[in-house]
Amino acid sequence: MRTRRLDRRTVLRGAGVALALPFLDCMAEAKGTSAAPKRFCSFYFPYGVSLPDKDSEHAHWRWFPEGGERDFRFTKTLEVLEPLRNDILILEGLSHPQCRDMGAHDTADTFLTGSKLEGRFLRNTVSVDQVMAAAVGHHTRYPSLVLSTDGGVGEPSRASTLSFSENGHPIPALNSPRTVFNRLFGAGDGDLSRERRSLRSSASMLDRVVEHSKQVRRDLGAQDQAKLDEYLESVRQIEERVERSQAWLEIPRPELTDADREMLKLEADDQAPKDLMRTMYDLIYLAFRTDSTRVATYQIGSMGDFSSKAGKFPQLLGFAGTLHKLAHDWNKENGAEELGLWDRHMAGEFGAFLERLRSTPEGEGTLLDNTLAFYGSSNSQTHNNKNYPLILAGGRGMGLQPGRFLRFKEETPLSNLFVTALDRMEIPTQGFSDSSGEMSELYG
Amino acid sequence: MKLSFPSVVIALCLVAVPGGRAAEPAAFVGEVQPLLESYCYSCHGPALQLANLRLDDVPDDLVENRRAAEIWGNVLNKLRRGEMPPKGAPHPEAAERDQAIAVLRAAVERAAEQRRSTDGRTVLRRLNRTEYQRTMTDLLGYEMDYARDIPPDGMSRDGFHNNALSLRMTATQLEYYLEAARAAMERVIVTEPEPMEIFDRTFTATNLDQWLLREEQPAKNLISRTDAFLGHIDPCYPEEGRFVVTVTAGAELKPGKGPPIMQVSVGFRPDTEIMFRTAGTFELDSEEARTFTVTGYMENYPKPVRGQSKYPGLVVRVTNVYDDGTPKPKLQTREKENGKKESYYPEEPDYPKVRVDKVTFTGPIYDEYPPAHHKRILFESQLRESDETEYARQVLKRFMTRAWRRPPEDWAVESYVSFFRAQQEAFPVFEERIRETLAMVLISPEFLYLMEPDSQAKRPLDAWETASRLSYLLWSTMPDERLFALAESGELLEPDTLGAEVERMLGDERAWAFTDEFLGSWLYLDAMDRVAIHPEYYPGFNDNLKRQIREETRQFFMELLRHDLSAVNLIDSDFLMLNETMARHYGIEGVWGSAFRRVPLERTSPRGGLLTQASLLLGNSTGEDSHPIKRAVWVRKRLLDDPPPPPPANVPELDSESPEMAGLSVREQLRAHRKDAACASCHVDIDPWGVAFEHFDAIGQWRNEIRKLKPRPEPEAEGEGAEAKKKDKDKEPPPPEFDLLPVDTHETLPDGTEIAGVDDLRGYLLGKRRDDFARTIVTKLLAYSLGRSLELADEKEVDGLTARFVENDLKLRTLLEEVVKSDLFRTK
Repeated sequence: MRTRRLDRRTVLRGAGVALALPFLDCMAEAKGTSAAPKRFCSFYFPYGVSLPDKDSEHAHWRWFPEGGERDFRFTKTLEVLEPLRNDILILEGLSHPQCRDMGAHDTADTFLTGSKLEGRFLRNTVSVDQVMAAAVGHHTRYPSLVLSTDGGVGEPSRASTLSFSENGHPIPALNSPRTVFNRLFGAGDGDLSRERRSLRSSASMLDRVVEHSKQVRRDLGAQDQAKLDEYLESVRQIEERVERSQAWLEIPRPELTDADREMLKLEADDQAPKDLMRTMYDLIYLAFRTDSTRVATYQIGSMGDFSSKAGKFPQLLGFAGTLHKLAHDWNKENGAEELGLWDRHMAGEFGAFLERLRSTPEGEGTLLDNTLAFYGSSNSQTHNNKNYPLILAGGRGMGLQPGRFLRFKEETPLSNLFVTALDRMEIPTQGFSDSSGEMSELYG
Repeated sequence: MKLSFPSVVIALCLVAVPGGRAAEPAAFVGEVQPLLESYCYSCHGPALQLANLRLDDVPDDLVENRRAAEIWGNVLNKLRRGEMPPKGAPHPEAAERDQAIAVLRAAVERAAEQRRSTDGRTVLRRLNRTEYQRTMTDLLGYEMDYARDIPPDGMSRDGFHNNALSLRMTATQLEYYLEAARAAMERVIVTEPEPMEIFDRTFTATNLDQWLLREEQPAKNLISRTDAFLGHIDPCYPEEGRFVVTVTAGAELKPGKGPPIMQVSVGFRPDTEIMFRTAGTFELDSEEARTFTVTGYMENYPKPVRGQSKYPGLVVRVTNVYDDGTPKPKLQTREKENGKKESYYPEEPDYPKVRVDKVTFTGPIYDEYPPAHHKRILFESQLRESDETEYARQVLKRFMTRAWRRPPEDWAVESYVSFFRAQQEAFPVFEERIRETLAMVLISPEFLYLMEPDSQAKRPLDAWETASRLSYLLWSTMPDERLFALAESGELLEPDTLGAEVERMLGDERAWAFTDEFLGSWLYLDAMDRVAIHPEYYPGFNDNLKRQIREETRQFFMELLRHDLSAVNLIDSDFLMLNETMARHYGIEGVWGSAFRRVPLERTSPRGGLLTQASLLLGNSTGEDSHPIKRAVWVRKRLLDDPPPPPPANVPELDSESPEMAGLSVREQLRAHRKDAACASCHVDIDPWGVAFEHFDAIGQWRNEIRKLKPRPEPEAEGEGAEAKKKDKDKEPPPPEFDLLPVDTHETLPDGTEIAGVDDLRGYLLGKRRDDFARTIVTKLLAYSLGRSLELADEKEVDGLTARFVENDLKLRTLLEEVVKSDLFRTK
């Protein structure tokens, strides 16, 4: 097949639209790998991991590897990642210093924001993925993809989403694979002229809704006004989204192969944790591969204790108890092993996702090389807000040097990693949350 | 500290609200100061600040000062866990320490409550997911899954889903509201002429080729629980519109079993449950064939993707879902004559069967065209031809009155009319233009929120607002025609009318929403879905049983409400609401059929009230065994509104695996655990409450022995838990073996009351704690009715309601009427 080499500008002129286009492989050839999109995704699980003492009889279930920076040895937990050894960085010693004295079950909200929840309403601040979405989101149909098992926003300190908007409001996570799929790839009823008309109508409808709501607002008391402002802010955000959608309308949604469709289990719900988790990972993979978005977060479990749908996942998969129980019992007779087995299962699922990225060529490298995949928890073991178990995978094409085990001093803020991630995404930054600089160790 | 600009603004707005919250009661610091001075300041005081902590100058404002709140919270935790003062340092007497803990805890909790305060007012709140779904359905008179993509709602601290502060609005949410509104309008308002092609199929036998069936499912008309009758319509079937399925069927009844239950569903992929949706369920109690009819809208049923599916066409399925409580037979394999293997389910000759004679499918059917839901909005009128704009104005005004649950003001109608006119060019067809305009009504704040405009001061609700509060309280949906009429005439504001309406509304089918939402949240029935039942302990447990278990509690509560019975029945009743499945579950004989009815209890029965209902026992279990702590916390939190303090951080769960615990029942483990003084201080007032239930296992059945699964010699586990187990699945595992431990339910409550089992617990709750129990119901009901958490300022009203509730013998419907007539309910 003959491919014509295009650069973005030609494409833009041809389409006559004033916006950037999805990344096409032929453009990469023209520009070299540096033109490949840069992506970030983050995965979170609650309550930390199994961390028996290094010299205890259960030391082989300790999450962190042993040994040095390059000659490290995985324990039984992470040995499932051995085939990916050269594509990951294991990070020890990091945490968000501001969040250390928070309630131990309160920190899930802060994983990607780094700030302590403050004030009467436990306000949060922007999460790093949303800073990225704001900067690179215009390249793709969706600025970001926000997923979780419980869906929605949860409540402050028990958020069921990892993502927080510019002003610290939680962004509701989608939790139905079917909904996510339809959003990314369409429900299959595309009639372009109808869609165009409907978007135009939306724009003028939303205008009027704002106008109307301002009138309504005048007659409300102060508390009600504050509540209605949430609504008004939402309307304004949709107005922006409608504008985006109008610009994207002429560009067809990506096609999927039969094999893609086969692998997705779109009807999976929380009763089928394995299918559900895999499908969520797969949807992120497909979203990246089709350049539908470059930023994704997925909260696999929230700190909602008994009220989280993910609590029973280990039980349903044949492990020794609920998430919360496994985490609490880490220092029991067989606790280190029981939790370790679960940690290992989770790492394996993450590994399968990385494998999929790695087996997809892009430019001169792979999809994984142009992706930062950040995986971990905001507890080391349950109730401990220090020394998060963390993996940063991929990023070779973005200047990272994976294949190492890095130990950090306790005072290093995790936000430094976010600063470096932003930098690697080519997003100018003045720092993030309580960062004290970049994390040059990641470059090797 | 980072505070973004908008949050500062909002904070200021809230602070500026006059009316004032209750002043912080006398500074608590004074009360704990003697202890701090004697035991803490030497290390955390003016001279020395170990751990960078100085306690003598921490402010006592726990509401606005987050840092102070955290420090005092930490002091409380350290004291409770006995971590401070450190070993070797002088310690306070236990009494002195407990006193300080009590004072600090009260202060911390009070502050938390004040931080959440809304100054005793109900804040503008949006419809939650359930309310949105139900309101759309009633408003449009058309059933559809409107809320499918709407993200789940947050839950308030009291566990309710209708609290304004936890119901946020986000762009994603609103985007899906718009999408749902448009999809709805497209279906409700029709533009095409009446579709002519009507599909009509009759089946007298399963007509699906064997390859589409599960191989093991033989095609037949006599249906047991492992069979299905399938009628396959291919390739033409209606995509939209109402369909009707009639099934002519009779029963094959069996002695000692209830009548078979026939389920009719429509979908397309016979090898999965998901690709079907149930259209109707019928109990067949006679051998003689009768004809049963179900109907639905094709839009709401799973259909294959045309041209792409491996399972083309539509399938009507008839199954037998009667459940006799025994495990389903397992799939067997046998050799066929040609030497090939086939799998099959063994026959169950004694199982009641459904005999299907004939199945017909007809659709789409229009009783009238355009359909009623269309004409309800686009009513017939000459104006439509003579003055389109005026017609649109009237259509909008009618629709907005119902959607906004009050007559719209003229300026609002005009702004919608002007949108309608502005869309002329984009939507030249009238119906399309009006659809767009109506969709806009459905994303307006007046529709999505319960709008109660006010100035800064409290005021009585008007009649329209009262109608909405009432219907969302009892029905979780919009007012019906009668409530609207009573609002329009103003009669609804009269207390007698309100009382009568409560009675009428509880008699309506829609009142089940009150049971689901209020009772479900108060008792936290969802706990059932968070527990995975261990199949080796309970091989007969299945989804049907789980549904019936939950249904029992719904039915029971509704029976009390509708007959204005006493809440005493929640603790102890001489009857239960049971059907065959639940009666069998409880070992009660002679109840047949799936309908729930009153079943009187023997005097000797351990059952009665909520405490022994399987829903609660299961929800507060581990899925293998009872969970006395969860059960105890449940009783104290849900029935007495007196939850024990949460466990201090870093307390492990009971170590049931350790050598010294391994042979013990949970109850004995608890006893051992209480030998530890730090644990005992809280657990003496937790364990006894839960131990009383020890005769009831994880699924709520009576037991005289506690079963503990004997560990199996595991084959060397290669992979992770699940994988390793799966590999072994091909080999039939040996049957489980259990160790048996004795049941012991004797305990003593901290006030000296001896509790020998659930009966004693009932007596105690209805005796000494009767007023606490009454007050809990009042509190929970008020919080749900108002859509907000209660505050100090509400105490007086709670006192009054509780007193009258107790006077009225705890009659539940009477209480509901009192709440509805109360000033709190009728004030913005």
